[in-house]
Amino acid sequence: MSPPEKELTVMLVDNEPARAAIVEQAMLDSGYRVIRRLENAQNLTQAVTESQPDMVIIDIESPDRDMLENMSRLTKDNPRPIVMFAEEDDSKYVEAAIRAGVSAYVVDGVQSGSVKALLQVAIARFREFQALRLELDSVKTQLEDRKVIEKAKGLIMKHQVCDEPAAYQALRKLAMDRSQRMIDVARNVISVMELLGEKR
Amino acid sequence: MNITAPNTVSLQSQPVRVGFIPLIDCAPFVVAHEKGFFCAQGVQVELSKEASWASIRDKVAFNLLDGAHMLASLPIAASLGIGTVKTSMESSFTVSHNGNAVTVSNALYQNLVKFSNDVQDIRSGAALKRFIASKKPTDPTLRFAIVYPYSSHNYQLRDWLAQAGIDPDKDVQIIVITPAQMMSYLKQNEIDGYCVGEPWNSLAVEQGVGHILVTGYDIWGSTPEKVFGVNSLWAAQNPDVYLAMIRALNRACEWVDDKQNQSELLSLLSQPDYLNCPAEQLIYGFNTLKPKGQFDWPLEAYQRFSGADINRPLPNYALWILAQMSRWQQLAKIPSLNQVVEQVYRQELYYQALGLVCPEGGSWKITKQQEKAFLAAVASGNVRLHPDGVLKGICF
Repeated sequence: MSPPEKELTVMLVDNEPARAAIVEQAMLDSGYRVIRRLENAQNLTQAVTESQPDMVIIDIESPDRDMLENMSRLTKDNPRPIVMFAEEDDSKYVEAAIRAGVSAYVVDGVQSGSVKALLQVAIARFREFQALRLELDSVKTQLEDRKVIEKAKGLIMKHQVCDEPAAYQALRKLAMDRSQRMIDVARNVISVMELLGEKR
Repeated sequence: MNITAPNTVSLQSQPVRVGFIPLIDCAPFVVAHEKGFFCAQGVQVELSKEASWASIRDKVAFNLLDGAHMLASLPIAASLGIGTVKTSMESSFTVSHNGNAVTVSNALYQNLVKFSNDVQDIRSGAALKRFIASKKPTDPTLRFAIVYPYSSHNYQLRDWLAQAGIDPDKDVQIIVITPAQMMSYLKQNEIDGYCVGEPWNSLAVEQGVGHILVTGYDIWGSTPEKVFGVNSLWAAQNPDVYLAMIRALNRACEWVDDKQNQSELLSLLSQPDYLNCPAEQLIYGFNTLKPKGQFDWPLEAYQRFSGADINRPLPNYALWILAQMSRWQQLAKIPSLNQVVEQVYRQELYYQALGLVCPEGGSWKITKQQEKAFLAAVASGNVRLHPDGVLKGICF
């Protein structure tokens, strides 16, 4: 890439500090200047006016996007929505950005090649973050599930006066007989036992 | 919380993806979903809460959503490609009329009272005009907030200011803030006033943060506020599903307007998946009851959701919106007005969906020769909406 393109200045608006940090680092590694990072957009308009970035990258789920939409209308110097630059035959990268949750605003006159390159960096990091979050969510769910199964096992052990492997086997058999997931059976067991417990 | 209605045949393989913004007037979408009206029509719908109008527009344009709860002017703006890539969007069903108002801060209100103690002068903006004229050049410019540049809020505020002889681009500053943040900006004196939908006007009065000056109804009469807007490509590919959704929304709108359902409606809307707020604060969107302020809120000013006059697309309103866009320099070039209106506000599908006979249309059309004169007359304030609203037409 030629040096002038590297001079692109970027402003990041993201209420997810962890993601913002990842994206910023990736931008720096690719030679872009992140001149400002905002976590919320309380002073977004002012920040854009002061810092005059070539490009603003903002989380598509940010309610503050409509603020930027208005700015771009006011003067030609303000960044305009990336979707305005999406030509019919070249809209794939914009679509990819929207799918990844990235929206961008670009000032007039920035070469579309540089915009695309920078957007690629952001898209990649947004996706990576998304994958990480999904993984984290699934780990969390697994942990939660395990806790529920443990609790059900404990209740069965107490109720049936049996040891842990026997309680586990009982749960497993129930799940197989009913073609249900262990976690669902465990939840049922807990609610039934609690109901019985209350009546007793 | 899906309620599946019995004896229904599914019309499609993929659920229809519909976006909405958590505002009071998303009620018909929430109700059609939660009360099983979509299901009863054989349609699977996936509702998706969105954070901004820009996000709704982009996702519908790039097929991440098939349709959405939209500002009535949004499908027009998208179809013209203003502020976005040009994408054909259309609407055949209006979900609500009215609901907006102009509210000002206590400080500004005190100043207005200094310049006139006549209610009419305050409501008409005459007092504001006098106050602005009295300001020194070094005084800060008054700031008003709206929710989106291509919205009824923007056009109503601008029209109200212009009618009072105030230039919305020179005499005041107009910025965009999300509805939920309006009150805190007003409290912190970051802005002097705003034009927004309910409950943010009534709440400001109730909490002593501001005063309502006029309603959107005072300014324009009864006019469409939100529509069910869809990507035209999707509409063309899924005609049966589309018509079934219009029927479901029509049913939902009747349900919303039925006072008997109000407490259930408020509790549905207040849920975390939707507006995520106390049910009590939503009542202002559906009630004639307004908090005690300086002025009475006219009875007809509150939102209406149901009735043929409310739900059918009103092409003359689309024409009016196009004229507003032209008036406030949002159009780079003037398109063929009739053509845009016909493509975006498709009345015939509304009648078809509900099994009604489509009346002879086209009376709203203006000739190519009249276009320029029409736009100029709207821009100068000489052409108005009928005081009863767009149903009675545009007054030349």
